[in-house]
Amino acid sequence: MLRRRSILAVLALLHGLPSLCAQQGPSGLTKPVVLPLFDPGKPRCSVPADLGKVLAFAQDNERKFMQGVARGLELAAKERGLEYRRAQAANDPTRMIEQMMGFLDGKVGALVASPVDPVSLAPALQKVIWSGAYVGTVVPPPATTILNAPQYLTGKVLGDEAAQFIKTRLNGKAKVVLLTHDSLQFLAPRFTAIRDSLKSVPGAVIVADISPLTVDEAGGLSMMRTILLANPDVDVVLGADTVVLGALAALREAGKVRDSQFLGGIDGEPAAVEEIKRGGPYKTSVSLASPVFAYAMGQHAADWLEGKSIPQAMDILPKALTSQNLPQYEADTADPASVYRDGKRRDEYLRMYGNICYDTREQYLNFPWSSERR
Amino acid sequence: MPISSRFVVGSSIVLLAIGFLTLLGIVGSTAWLGEKSNSYFEESNRSRALRVSAVELRSALQSAESSQRGYLVGGNEIYLAPYDAAKAEALAQFDRLKQLLPSSQQNAAVLDRLSKVVSEKVAEMDRTIALKADLQDSQATALFRSNRGKALMDEANLFLSSIIRQADDRLETLLNDQRQNATLLRLATIIGGLVIVLVVAGATATVFRYAWEVSRARNELNALNLTLEDRVVRRTAQLAEARDRAELLVAEVNHRVANSLSLVASLVRLQSNLITDQTSKEALKETEARILAVASVHKRLYSGGDARFVDLQEYLSSVLDNVEASMRGQGHVASLRYELEPLKLKTDSSINIGVIVTEWVTNAFKYAYPDKPGEVRVRLRRLADGKAELSVEDDGVGRADGSAKGTGLGTRIVNAMARSIGGDVEYVAAGSGTVARLAFSAGLDG
Repeated sequence: MLRRRSILAVLALLHGLPSLCAQQGPSGLTKPVVLPLFDPGKPRCSVPADLGKVLAFAQDNERKFMQGVARGLELAAKERGLEYRRAQAANDPTRMIEQMMGFLDGKVGALVASPVDPVSLAPALQKVIWSGAYVGTVVPPPATTILNAPQYLTGKVLGDEAAQFIKTRLNGKAKVVLLTHDSLQFLAPRFTAIRDSLKSVPGAVIVADISPLTVDEAGGLSMMRTILLANPDVDVVLGADTVVLGALAALREAGKVRDSQFLGGIDGEPAAVEEIKRGGPYKTSVSLASPVFAYAMGQHAADWLEGKSIPQAMDILPKALTSQNLPQYEADTADPASVYRDGKRRDEYLRMYGNICYDTREQYLNFPWSSERR
Repeated sequence: MPISSRFVVGSSIVLLAIGFLTLLGIVGSTAWLGEKSNSYFEESNRSRALRVSAVELRSALQSAESSQRGYLVGGNEIYLAPYDAAKAEALAQFDRLKQLLPSSQQNAAVLDRLSKVVSEKVAEMDRTIALKADLQDSQATALFRSNRGKALMDEANLFLSSIIRQADDRLETLLNDQRQNATLLRLATIIGGLVIVLVVAGATATVFRYAWEVSRARNELNALNLTLEDRVVRRTAQLAEARDRAELLVAEVNHRVANSLSLVASLVRLQSNLITDQTSKEALKETEARILAVASVHKRLYSGGDARFVDLQEYLSSVLDNVEASMRGQGHVASLRYELEPLKLKTDSSINIGVIVTEWVTNAFKYAYPDKPGEVRVRLRRLADGKAELSVEDDGVGRADGSAKGTGLGTRIVNAMARSIGGDVEYVAAGSGTVARLAFSAGLDG
């Protein structure tokens, strides 16, 4: 369904906006390269001409994660004297392309996008890049700055937390349930990392390594019911927050829940955070601090418009939220500016790679970049 | 501390009992552990069969699925070749698994769900293959893309993995139990062996120690015996020397006493020679005779070897010879004949006997034959009842009135002497004469 909508969006882009097709530009770096770490001391470039001091955000939907992105961008724009504009596509790729073209026509100096459909949106993004504007994307190319979450590291953070818990609290022995997400192949490194972490604990046995039919709370509930039929006693459940929350419901339903269990998820879902605060079996959620990286992208956008060299890519580092560090994490996401200003705290959340500026914008990334690619 | 034979026997019995009980324990534990091993073996076989069945079922399902997918992708029926066999194998293994899975509420629920999953999976594969065979590719693809087949396979794998893991856990538990059994058996055998070795060592040590102590005691005894003999020899020599000194001393004393008494008797005789009164003279003579009788004993004593006893035969012979000589010297004409059996008597008693016989023979010489010759017969003999008898017999005038003649001193002396040795005195008329008898027993030594 998504693929069909992408094709339609591309067709719309090609037929409805012929002017865009005529202005071809460089294709950027299409072959994967390993970027060095960002060098803040690189010389300044030219200041983009004929572009407005505007930071625009093409937002895919209103999920919590993206709300954090919007908040971070707005805050940075405000601090750097940029006009902030936001367009929410409600998961409609065509609408997102249209919104994107609007930004292009408005000569915005900087654009951040969370593509609904990366394939269909890519030509529009390239056009914006060719216009000389800063383009930051949340994960997919093309972009002058790609924001990515290292999937393997994300899974490893969760896996290491679980392994540590098994070692210290379960005497090194545990029956583990791993709820995967087989329909999204790019997430596979997460689960590979979790499996790798658990290998460090010989007594940890993965009794179920299975993907729920749907990756949501209902899917987790249904799958955990089946798992409990085959394995009545489980000690650890790992997966995305939504499915783990469903698994927790199944455990409660079967009367098999206990505080000595370790339930951990990825995404920092609010319900998961609430469970962590409650202090039950839900011990951690690996979260990506969207306001923090969005604030950084806003700062980079402003730097770009001032002719400064900025990172080509940026990792938002996963953070395992626990009842101990949750207050600090919430404080950090509430005030991303202070995190960005504090180099040490900033390094806990962000890792930056490569250098690019207005004069070198033909070196924009046009391949699925990952810091974990070797 | 030395050990006794009783301790050796007691400890040997205790040690043997301990050894026997230990042996019994080893045999018993070996039998018990062997029985447990058999039961572990049977259970291991069941768990292994269950595991094999689950693995084979999973493998057969995967083979069937591979066959189905190969056919769906290419439409080439060659991929279907293993399908029917794999499906049949899967169903057969599932039946076997149902028989082997231990019955429990949870396993019943697992089997129920697994049965539905396997049935649905087989139905899904059959359905897609049938659609493909009927050239309804789009429907077959749609069914395939629903991912239901993958989900069913995942779920079947979830249950089968759980069963395999349970079988593995059980096998591991059984293996650990068997290993523990083997360790226990080894431990019991080692401990038992050690106990038996200790028992044998203890018994051997006890016996050896006992034997060593017996040997040592024997050696000590031999050494003591050797010393004792030396000591006895030395002591005997000392005693002999002491005895010789004592005998010499006694002989010397007796010699002196005898000499003194002889001197006294000589003085009495000299005195009597000076006295003219016949009565006094006779009295002194009698006294001299008595003193000589006593002195004679002492002569015997210092001339003889033993001062404690006196050979009455020799002593009385000497006394009687002296009395006879003395009486003849005084003019008495009677003759004396004596018949003395060999007899030894204590020195004190011998003196009494000597004095008594002196009195009686003197009286017989003086009063039995006042004016004519006659015979005085002295006899010393053993009696049957362990006593001895001294008799002085004459054929003289006899004791017509029954009373003693003379001063009566002699009779009193005789009675006193006889009493002091526990003797009985009697005077019996025999014919015309008299027989004086003294029966005595004190101090007899034959």
